[in-house]
Amino acid sequence: MFNFMPEQASEIASNIDWLNSLILWLSVFFTVAIVGAMVYFAVRYRRRDGVDHETPRIEGSNALEAVWTIVPTVICVFIAYYGVAFYAQMREEKANALEINVWAQKWKWDFEYASGKKTTAEFYVPVNRPVKLIMKSRDVLHSFFLPAMRVKRDVLPSAYNALYFTPIKTGVYQTFCTEYCGMEHSGMLATLHVVSQAEYDRWVNDRSEEIALSRVTPAERGEKLYNQKGCNACHKLDGSSAIAPSFVKLFGRNEQLADGTSVTVDENYLQESILHPNAKIVKGYPPNLMPAFEGQVSDDEIQALEAFIKSLTTAKQEQAAAAPADPAALAGMSPADRGKKLYNEKVCVTCHSLDGSRIVGPSFKGVYGRKQKITTGQEIVADDAYIKESILNSAAKVVEGYPPAMPAYQGQLSDAEVSDIIEFLKTVK
Amino acid sequence: MSDTQHNTQGDYLHNPSGLWSWVTTTDHKRIGLMYLFTILLFFFVAGISALIMRTELAHAGPDFLKAQQYNVLFTLHGALMIFLFIVPGIPATLGNFLIPLMIGAKDVAFPRLNLLSYYIYVIGAIIAVIAVIPPVETLSFLKSLGFTGPADTGWTFYAPYSLDTGAAIPWMVFAAFVLGFSSILTGLNFIVTIHKLRAPGMTWDRLPVFIWGSYATAVIQTLATPVVGITLLLVIMERLMGVGIFDAKLGGDPVLYEHMFWFYSHPVVYIMVLPAFGIVGEIIPVFSRKPLFGYKMVCYASLAIAIVGFFVWAHHMFVAGISDFSAIAFSVITFGVAVPTAVKVFNWVSTMYKGSISFTTPMLYAMGFVFLFMVAGTTGIFLATLAVDVFYHDTYFVVAHFHYTIQGGAVIGLMAGLHFWFPKITGKMYNELAGKIGWVLVFAGFNLTFIPQFILGMEGMPRRYFDYLPQFQPMHMLSTVGSFINGFGYTFALLNLFYAAMFSKVKAPANPWNSLSLEWKTASPPITENFAETPIVTEGTYNYGRPVEGLAH
Amino acid sequence: MSSHSTAENYQGPPHVHHMDAPTAYSAAKLGMWLFLATEILLFGGLFAAFALFRWMYLEAFEHASQQLAWGWGALNTLVLLFSSFTAAMAVEAAQKGNNQRVFRLLAITIGCGFIFLIIKFIEYRAKYVHGIWPSSAEWNDPQFNAHYKSFFGLYFCMTGLHALHVILGMGLLAWALRKARVNRYSKEYYTPVEVGALYWHLVDLIWIYLFPLLYLVGHPSWHTPFGH
Repeated sequence: MFNFMPEQASEIASNIDWLNSLILWLSVFFTVAIVGAMVYFAVRYRRRDGVDHETPRIEGSNALEAVWTIVPTVICVFIAYYGVAFYAQMREEKANALEINVWAQKWKWDFEYASGKKTTAEFYVPVNRPVKLIMKSRDVLHSFFLPAMRVKRDVLPSAYNALYFTPIKTGVYQTFCTEYCGMEHSGMLATLHVVSQAEYDRWVNDRSEEIALSRVTPAERGEKLYNQKGCNACHKLDGSSAIAPSFVKLFGRNEQLADGTSVTVDENYLQESILHPNAKIVKGYPPNLMPAFEGQVSDDEIQALEAFIKSLTTAKQEQAAAAPADPAALAGMSPADRGKKLYNEKVCVTCHSLDGSRIVGPSFKGVYGRKQKITTGQEIVADDAYIKESILNSAAKVVEGYPPAMPAYQGQLSDAEVSDIIEFLKTVK
Repeated sequence: MSDTQHNTQGDYLHNPSGLWSWVTTTDHKRIGLMYLFTILLFFFVAGISALIMRTELAHAGPDFLKAQQYNVLFTLHGALMIFLFIVPGIPATLGNFLIPLMIGAKDVAFPRLNLLSYYIYVIGAIIAVIAVIPPVETLSFLKSLGFTGPADTGWTFYAPYSLDTGAAIPWMVFAAFVLGFSSILTGLNFIVTIHKLRAPGMTWDRLPVFIWGSYATAVIQTLATPVVGITLLLVIMERLMGVGIFDAKLGGDPVLYEHMFWFYSHPVVYIMVLPAFGIVGEIIPVFSRKPLFGYKMVCYASLAIAIVGFFVWAHHMFVAGISDFSAIAFSVITFGVAVPTAVKVFNWVSTMYKGSISFTTPMLYAMGFVFLFMVAGTTGIFLATLAVDVFYHDTYFVVAHFHYTIQGGAVIGLMAGLHFWFPKITGKMYNELAGKIGWVLVFAGFNLTFIPQFILGMEGMPRRYFDYLPQFQPMHMLSTVGSFINGFGYTFALLNLFYAAMFSKVKAPANPWNSLSLEWKTASPPITENFAETPIVTEGTYNYGRPVEGLAH
Repeated sequence: MSSHSTAENYQGPPHVHHMDAPTAYSAAKLGMWLFLATEILLFGGLFAAFALFRWMYLEAFEHASQQLAWGWGALNTLVLLFSSFTAAMAVEAAQKGNNQRVFRLLAITIGCGFIFLIIKFIEYRAKYVHGIWPSSAEWNDPQFNAHYKSFFGLYFCMTGLHALHVILGMGLLAWALRKARVNRYSKEYYTPVEVGALYWHLVDLIWIYLFPLLYLVGHPSWHTPFGH
C-alpha cells in the first residue's frame, strides 16, 4: 500500500524508500490519531438540543505540553539523522566512478564520454559501476532528475555540479528536467540505458559515426554544418537573400557596418558574428534576426564553418546544394514523403515547426486549409494557391504577427517540388 | 473630512456615506473591506487560470493550449495568488478589520499610512495585471513601455531565465516590489498598533491568539520583505542595464538569486499561515466553550515559527549546488519549525476535550483546517528530510504540499474567519445550511485535487510540465475533477456570504457566538469609532467554562 | 485624522483622534525605528551580494575599486557627518521650542544634502566620460572584464539607491522645516524633526559603511584622490 515510487534501480534507492515509508507510516499514524481524537471529542462532547452544557475551564497542562514538545522533537531528530546519513551516501564519490560530462541546453541533454563518444537525449552506463555525472548548463538553470536512481541535482550555467549513483539493474530509465527552463521544459527528457559491461564497452567504442565525420575535410564538414544548423536559410550562396550577406567571396572582404565603421572579414570577425551576431551588423541588413550560437557550436565547428566560408572565396562560385538525391529512390517515394524530405533539406524546418510551437514563421501543424489574417488585414485560406505563392514569393502575403523574414524560393524549387511540399503539409495535422 | 462633522456613533458602513467617503477613508474597517473585495477579485482570476491549466492537464499531450500559454498561465496563477491574494490575504483584510477592535483601539496607529498601503497595493496590482496580459494590437503603446508580453518564468522569477526571456519581467518584478512595499507598511503599522494602542488592561498575556499570529506575521512582513525588494530591484537593473549580479554570462551567480529570493519567500509562507493559525485559535474555544488549551505555548509557538522561519530558506535549494554542509545544516534547522507547529495542533485538539461543541460553519472550517494542516505538516517532514527531499524536490509532491499549507492552511483559515466574523463585519447572518454545503464542496474538492498530486510526486512527475508521460494520466484526471469541485465550492460559499451581505434580512446581534473577545462587545456592525467608550480589560480572552480548582497547571 | 481647520494659531501637538499626544509621539518614533530596520535590510541584501562577489573575484574588485576617486568619497563623508550633526542639533532646538534655530539648522542639513548630491554627480560624470556606465559601448564590449561589471553594477546600485535615500531624507526634512516656519514646535511637540533626523542619521550611517567598502578596502590610489 502507498508504494508509488518508481523501480529501485540504484544502490541507495532501497534506503531512500525505507526512510520514505517510515515517515509515511509515522505521518499516517499521527494524522489518524490526532484527527481521530478531534472527531471523537467533537462527537462525544457535542452540544445537544442547541443548549450548551457546563464545561470545565481547563487552561492547559505543563506536563502534556512537555510531552508533545519532546516526543515530536525526538522523532524529528531520528528522521533528520537518517535523512542526513542517506544523503551522505548519495553524495559519496566512489574511487572507480565512470565520469560522464552532461551538458544541459534549452531543451536537450548532451552527454560526453572520456572516450570522445558524444550523444544527445540518451546515454549508456554499465550496471553495478558507480557513475559520476559532471554537469553544466549552456544557458539557464536546469535540473537532472533520475527517478529510478532517486537522485537529482540542479545544472547551473555558472559552475559544475556533480551527481552520483550506482545502478544495480539493467534497463531503460526515464530522466526529466526538473528546473523550469522555458517553453519546452516538459519535453526536455532523456533516457538512461543501464546495460551489461560488455554491451557498454561495445557501445562506447562504436565510433563509426564520428570516424566518418573525421574523414572529411574541415571545409566539407563546414558545408554540412552550414546546412544542418540552418545557416543556408538566410545566407544564400547565390546572393539572392536580402536579409543576410551571402558567403560567396565573403572572406577577406571589407564590409561597411551599420554603425558607420568598417571591418575586414577574418576568422575573428566570423567567430564573433556566429557567437554574437548583433555585435557587428553589416550595413543594410536587419539586426536581431539571427540567433546567437554561443554555446551551441563548438570551437571545432566554428573552425569548420570558417574553412567552408574561406573555400567559397578561393573556389569558383558554386551552388552549395546537398548532393543530388538518387532520382530513382525519389520517384519511389510518395509525394508527401518527398515533401517531408524537402521540408528538411530546404530548411523550412528552421523556422516552421510541425508541433504547433512558434519559431520564426507560423507552425505547419494544421496549416493546410487554415483561415488566417495577413498583414493587410485580409482573411485568407491556406489553400494550394496560397501556399504555392507563399513559397515562391514569400513576401506577398505574410501572416499577421510574423516577420517577413522568409527568402523567396522562386527559381529554386520546381513546380513538382512545390506540389510535393503541399502534399506533405496536408499530412501535418 | 474632519471627524467632528459626522456622528461617530453611527455604524461604519453607512457613516459617513457616499462613494467618496469610502475611497478616502482612513477607517481600518473600511480599508479592510476594500482589501477584501480586491483580493477576492484576484483570487477569482488566479483560480480560473488554475482551472484552465487543470483542464489542459486532464489528458496527456497538447489539448487546447500551447506550451508557452501554459507557462504563462502557471506564472499568472502563482504570481497573482501569492503576491495579490494570499500575502495580503488575511493580514490586510481580517487583520485590518480586527486588530484595533480586538485590542480595544479606535484605529490602527497610522490610519493615513494604512490607506496609502492600500493604494500602493492597487498600483502594484495594476502593473502586475498589465504585465500579464498578452500584447494586443490596439494597446501597442504598452509594448514601447516595456510590456513585451506576459511573464513566463513562474512566480519565482529564477535568474538567469528571467533575464533571458523576452517577457515583461522588469514590470512584473517591479509590481512585486511595489506590492512588497505595501506589505512592509501594513506590517509596520500593525506592530506599532499592537505595541502602543492596547486598551487599559489588555496585557500581552491577555491578547487574543489572532493578535499574536498577526504580530508574528507583521514582524516577518517588515523584516523579510526588504530583502526580496532589493533582490527584485537587482533583477530589474540586470535586465535593463546589464550589470552582472545573477547572470553567469555577465559574471554573476544564479544561486545567489535563489538565496536572496528564498530569504524572503520562505518566511512569506508564514505570513500566509500564521494569521490562519490565529483564526483557528479564536474559533475553536468559542464553539467548544473552553479556554484555548496552553494559550501561552500557542503564542510562543507563533513567535518561534516566525523566528526559526528566517533560518530555513535554503531548504528550497538542497539540490541547487549548495555545499553538503549547508544542506545538512538547513535540513536540521527546518525540523525546528515542525515542533512548534505540532505543538499548536495538539493544543487546538485538546481545547475540544470536555467542551460543548457546536458544528457551525466556522467550526467546521476550523476542524477541516486541523486535518488539512496535519497533512501539510507531515508532508513537510518528507521535504525537510534531506535524502528524501532530493527525490521529491520540484515534483508534484512539492506542489501538493505547498497547496495543503497555503490553500488548506491560509485559504481555509480565511474562509473560517470570514464566516466567523461575517456577522460583525456586515451586521447580518448568512444561511447556515448553504455555508455547510459550501464547506463540504470545498473540503472534498480540495482533497480530491491534491491527494492525487502527492501520488504523482511519488511517481516522479516533475512540476511545471505542460505535457507528461502516459503513466501519469489517471492521477492527473482525478486531480482535474477535484479542482472543478473545489472551484465550484469556493464560488458557492463566497456567493452565499455575498448574497447574505447584500440581501439578508436577518440582523446579527452584537455577539451571536457568545464570544468573550473584545470585538464582540461593540455593535454589529461596529460604530465608526469602534467603541463608544474605551473598554477596560480585566481578564483573559478565553475564560470560558466553570473554573476548576487545581486543573489549571 | 488630525483636524487642521483650527490649527493656524494652535501651538500644541496636532490633535490625533484615536490616541493621546504622548502615545502619538512614541508610536511615530517606534514606526520610524521599524522603518529604519527595513531600510537596513534593504541595503543588507546589497552588502551581502557585494561581500560574496568581492570574495569570489577579489583581484578584479580591488582593481576596479582603485578607479574610484576616494578624495570625493572622503569629502562626501565629511559633508554627511556634518549634516548629521546639524540634524541632531535641530532636534535639540526643537525640544526647546526654538523654531528659528530649527529652521536654520535644518536648512543647513538640507544644503549639505545638495552638496553631497553635486559631488556624487561629479563622480558619476567622471565615470560616464570614461565609459564606465551600464549599457555604454565600452560596457557592452565583450572585452570589458565581466567582474568589473559586477563591481560597477553594484557600485551604481548601492550609491544610486543611497542617493535616492538622500533625496527622500531631504524631502522629509523639508517637511519638518516647513513646520518650523509656522512655529509649530514646542516642548510638547517636535515629532517631525525627531523622525526626520532619525532618518537622516540612517542615510549618513549607510554612507559610512559604503565609503570604506567601495573606496578604501583594497589599495586605493592614494596619490590621485580625485581620479585622473
